[in-house]
Amino acid sequence: MPLLSRGSKKQRDYRPTLVESSPLRRADPRVKLAMGLTASLAVMLPLPGLLVFLAGYIGFMAWARLLPMAVRQAWRLRWFLAFLFVLDVFLVNWELAVLIVLRLALLAGVFILLFATTTPRELSQALESLRLPYRYAFSFGLAFQSLALLDDEWRAIYEAQRSRGILRLDRDWRTLLRQVGDLIALTVPAVVLTTKRAWSITESAYARGFDAPHRRPYQPLKLTRRDWLLLAGVAVVAIAILGQARLPAL
Amino acid sequence: MPPGLKAEALAFTYPGMLDRPLAGQFGPLSLQLAPAECLHIAGPTGCGKSTLARCLTGLIPHLYHGQMSGTVWIGDLRSDQTPLWQLSEIAGLVFQNPAAQMLAPTIEEEIIFGLENLGLPKAEIDRRVDQALERFGLGPLSGRAPQTLSGGEQQKLALAAVVARRTPVLVLDEPLSMLDTTAAFEFVAHLADWVAQGGAAAVCEHRREYLQALPDLRTLSLDGRPELAHPMPALDFHAPEPRACRIVTKGLSVARGGRTVLHDLDLALEGGQVTAIVGRNGAGKTTLLRALAGLQPYQGELAAWVDGRSETPHLGLVFQNPDLQLFNASVRQEILYRLPDADLELYHSLIAALDLEHYQEAPPLLLSEGEKRRVALATLLIRRPRHGVLLDEPALGQDAAHKTLLMRLLGAVARQGQVVAFATHDIELAACADRLILLSPEGFVASGSPEQVLADHSAWDRLGLRLPDWVTPCPC
Repeated sequence: MPLLSRGSKKQRDYRPTLVESSPLRRADPRVKLAMGLTASLAVMLPLPGLLVFLAGYIGFMAWARLLPMAVRQAWRLRWFLAFLFVLDVFLVNWELAVLIVLRLALLAGVFILLFATTTPRELSQALESLRLPYRYAFSFGLAFQSLALLDDEWRAIYEAQRSRGILRLDRDWRTLLRQVGDLIALTVPAVVLTTKRAWSITESAYARGFDAPHRRPYQPLKLTRRDWLLLAGVAVVAIAILGQARLPAL
Repeated sequence: MPPGLKAEALAFTYPGMLDRPLAGQFGPLSLQLAPAECLHIAGPTGCGKSTLARCLTGLIPHLYHGQMSGTVWIGDLRSDQTPLWQLSEIAGLVFQNPAAQMLAPTIEEEIIFGLENLGLPKAEIDRRVDQALERFGLGPLSGRAPQTLSGGEQQKLALAAVVARRTPVLVLDEPLSMLDTTAAFEFVAHLADWVAQGGAAAVCEHRREYLQALPDLRTLSLDGRPELAHPMPALDFHAPEPRACRIVTKGLSVARGGRTVLHDLDLALEGGQVTAIVGRNGAGKTTLLRALAGLQPYQGELAAWVDGRSETPHLGLVFQNPDLQLFNASVRQEILYRLPDADLELYHSLIAALDLEHYQEAPPLLLSEGEKRRVALATLLIRRPRHGVLLDEPALGQDAAHKTLLMRLLGAVARQGQVVAFATHDIELAACADRLILLSPEGFVASGSPEQVLADHSAWDRLGLRLPDWVTPCPC
């Protein structure tokens, strides 16, 4: 029987998932925030300093078992980075082109350092313990969590519209105008869904006592000796970066 | 006096909707709910049950603007003069759409959120989380993200998260809509125990039969707009060239998120028949529909057969969440979107058949959940999918009259030789189909006419689904 056959197609998934095996997974989220901020400071370094920092950073990510994920994240940006590189080489010089590309790759790694080792709850707890009011810390944690959902939501809308018969799969340039119009069919539900989700979550949170003055965190954060050691290391690196960085003249 | 609920001359209208026939507003009503009492809030789709649930828990007027009159007492607190967190410790609310209310990355954290807000110590939170997971059968799913659960599993989690807070009053907005019959009976039994121990519950629900186990159940009916007072219109749905289609799968297997959801399924869906697919929560019903609609990667073979020739299947799918499919400014624009030569006769026939005539100029996203589902079906049928339509939980948010309308329309589509299949937990609706399939995670348990399958009690036992004794085959 000449049935149509379709083999298994794997959907690519770029979302960072929690790396439970990472030694940073059990570290205090405040320490990881400090690490992320410090690594972000490195974008101010001149090229030689940035190269030295990157070498150390790659070693650190390998130790933290996050290097493969960070490389995948940077790889995801490859076309964008290549475009920027070519543009900067033509418009300015190759040195700036390399610097810009390395800075962006570094920031992609920082994203993984935080997202692959920290849950939204831990992040909002860290912010709360840094004296950010609970409602803002909670919202920040939710936004952090929602990043992972955006991809799913976009895909679900795309499938729903395809199933309705609106979106066409042809890639003919002559239908480009029509395909631009199709964006409305994707964007409006995406905006509506995001707004509705934000509202539904607000309702759901308030219906379960959000903002109660006697709220008590399930597991309060506590810095261990290892966290203090990591924090000391981060402080040393931060001071070194600030010493080397090209700060704007005051 | 222990807490209960009381509403006096309560009315609410959303802003800017005074003269528009939209869902969710109701006239002045009074009600009282004492401890150890249960109130069933009934009414047709769009009559304002969800709005009333929000008023009874204080979300209206705290979070919503609109024209509210009358007073609501939650326990001995007046809802408009008390902070919301304080009201939420007396009255808990489970919303209609469980997927939208999930706010934590794991099942446990979803339950923990509400318990932290009560200021409970860690040991007590752990105890209550374990109890809630066990009570709602969520233990095996522990650690998973709520967004990866099926609709029914999400509904159980939403119930668990609110019930774990042990508020003396529960307001439940269609709590059974996504539960399979076994889970629905179990939940009603828990609710009955809880009411017997002094709890008070107000339940908005279309399926009253399931609530019979609740002691001294009273019913409050919201009128809304007259329920299909007009005679049902003659339905005129014609495929361009009626052909007998057949959808065939061979060895169909689907894995999602690293789990095998469907394994080696052989299935033939015949054109001319309405087929209902029933199974427990998480059995893979939605996944099967997605695979048939070409939206889900799978292994195995799938084809549409028409006049002895195989074709790539072209089936439209109405999603469980209609918000994904609607985006235009009015129902009319939504249905006729990008159809320059639309068949206006079919359009008028569809909106009449789906009872959408009143809403032609209304924004579809502001309609009730049931109405949105009917709009989504119309947007599909106007495009005449080549081989037929699939529907995921079409009964959600539909009252009995609208379910009858729906089955009538699906029957008319099938009579054109098209394949029509839907997945549902609503056994009454499934019993109105031409063919009933019971699906378990291991494969098909039974398949045949509703008379045959409903009589095969061993099949229901193997599936783990309780068959309600009031369900009989009903050719709608």
